[in-house]
Amino acid sequence: MDNSVCQVYEDKIQSLEEEIKLLAEKYEDSQQESTFFSDEEILMSKKSFEREFWRESQGCESPSDLKAQLESLETDLSFLMKFTGIQFTSHFKKTMEKTRNRTVQKHRLSGNCHSLSFQLEFQLLEMQNKENVSVVVSDLSITMESGEDSDVSKFVSSIEEHGNLLAFFRSLSSYAEWYEHRRCTFLHFKAKYPDVVTLPEGLLGDYIILRNSKHSGFELMVVWKIHIDEEGRTTPLLDLLTKVPEQVLEWKMATIENAPTGFRSMLLLFGIEAAIENLIKVVSLEK
Amino acid sequence: MEPGRGELTPPFSLAGEWQGKMEEGKAYSPHGVFAHLEMLEARAHEADMKEEEAKQQEEKLARLKARVQELTLQRDELQVKVDLQQKRQLEKEGVASDPAQPSAQAVLEWKIKRVKAMLQVFCLTGISGKLTKQGVCFCISTAYEGTYLDSYYLDLLTKPEVRILRHSIPIFIPLEQLAKKYLQTDIRRFLSVLSNHLNAYAARKYQADQLQEHFSDQIEGTLQTNSLCNLLVFNYNVPNKSKTFPFNVRLLYGDLCSSIPTKVTVSCTSEAPASLAEMAAAHSDLFCHVALHKAFRSFSDAGESAAGAP
Repeated sequence: MDNSVCQVYEDKIQSLEEEIKLLAEKYEDSQQESTFFSDEEILMSKKSFEREFWRESQGCESPSDLKAQLESLETDLSFLMKFTGIQFTSHFKKTMEKTRNRTVQKHRLSGNCHSLSFQLEFQLLEMQNKENVSVVVSDLSITMESGEDSDVSKFVSSIEEHGNLLAFFRSLSSYAEWYEHRRCTFLHFKAKYPDVVTLPEGLLGDYIILRNSKHSGFELMVVWKIHIDEEGRTTPLLDLLTKVPEQVLEWKMATIENAPTGFRSMLLLFGIEAAIENLIKVVSLEK
Repeated sequence: MEPGRGELTPPFSLAGEWQGKMEEGKAYSPHGVFAHLEMLEARAHEADMKEEEAKQQEEKLARLKARVQELTLQRDELQVKVDLQQKRQLEKEGVASDPAQPSAQAVLEWKIKRVKAMLQVFCLTGISGKLTKQGVCFCISTAYEGTYLDSYYLDLLTKPEVRILRHSIPIFIPLEQLAKKYLQTDIRRFLSVLSNHLNAYAARKYQADQLQEHFSDQIEGTLQTNSLCNLLVFNYNVPNKSKTFPFNVRLLYGDLCSSIPTKVTVSCTSEAPASLAEMAAAHSDLFCHVALHKAFRSFSDAGESAAGAP
């Protein structure tokens, strides 16, 4: 009888210790999530921390442990952002529920991948089972700047439906890289051949116009669309459109008609930049 | 009185026994007396021990009780602290900093936690990593829809040229081939293609696992698969149909970066009725477009609605 009474007390002690641990964590999390220090405050703290420890330590223990740790973490973070092209501009996290086996957090993230910006909200559930921790995303909501593009909005809806956060970032990376590649290519040609190349919709548009300043009726339009399907696969689609004055059309019909096919072959053989460069040369020569 | 019970015996029975002993043998030997004395001593010792034990038990109980009180007090204080914190936050929704001027240490600790949280978000994006003395250690995450699956590590050296030092990539993923093709020229592309392989493998494995977890009653025998999970063969029964004509299905995933099969064969024995053969063809088509476990879920749903129909 005594043993069972002891057991009751011991169980109670264990459950109280767990409760205390959870409450302490809850307090810490809440404190962390509701506090904010600006970059200047961080910088000042770094300096004053170093000063404090310098005065105290005089060589016994390594003074700037916290500072070194922070700097190493910040270096890792900035490397990742540069490497992946994904820059997070803000992150808001709130712990909604925390028990021994289960943590539920709500996240709000905004950032950009190269020149494409996004905003996300989602809920993250972490569950501790026997061997490992399972992490599940739910209630995913995404807003993208280029949201009017029907391709992109179909892709985003498909992602939101399945909570497919990982696939979103993987596809976003590749889509944004093509976007960036296109922007750089357009910029390069605009800078190299300012008289021939015009960008009616600017660097972020999806076509460029090549024209010979002397023969204003004759124009070549290179359309470069970046298509993303529902599964996030990105494909560039390039095509050539011609605008030709009627007199030219009469005697150069065949050449004009074959131009798009010729362009596509050039793309396959030489790649995008070389194909466009060839077109520019053709337009510049045209008499 | 039984020997070994260990209870203190009341005096009179002792006397009675003493008397009994006296009556038994007129001449009682010193041996008998000593034996009896020993027994009494043992009994007294036992009694002492019992008392000691009971005292210890009482002390232990008292200690435990005190500890429970101490912890209860601590818990209640913490609870009050947390409740107050919640109340203050509700009143001043949004960011609120500590009224007392925080120490430099507290500020740095706060910032460290924040940067760590940001690094954890990178894990959710699929590629995360940490700079090392000799290079970089990348962590590739895999997921199926909203569920995150295994992560894999790749420790790279960057000088004099990029090389893989250590990794946890399974052996059936063509890591060397990919490294040869992309590692020197474009590390990002290398990681992206490797991530495609790993995620597709994880997705195929997840589908097979889900099938075994949720639809094991429909599966006959075992699920045969290779380590890359790109060849799956098993027999299954269609729900609500008789179990005499199980279907055999062979799924081949020819594209290692895809989690949808490229070739599906669903067959049933030749004795099976034509309607089942038609169903097999329909299933074969379904498996080419829909994830395996979702296809099975649709069978169950269809089965239920068919069963419910008049």
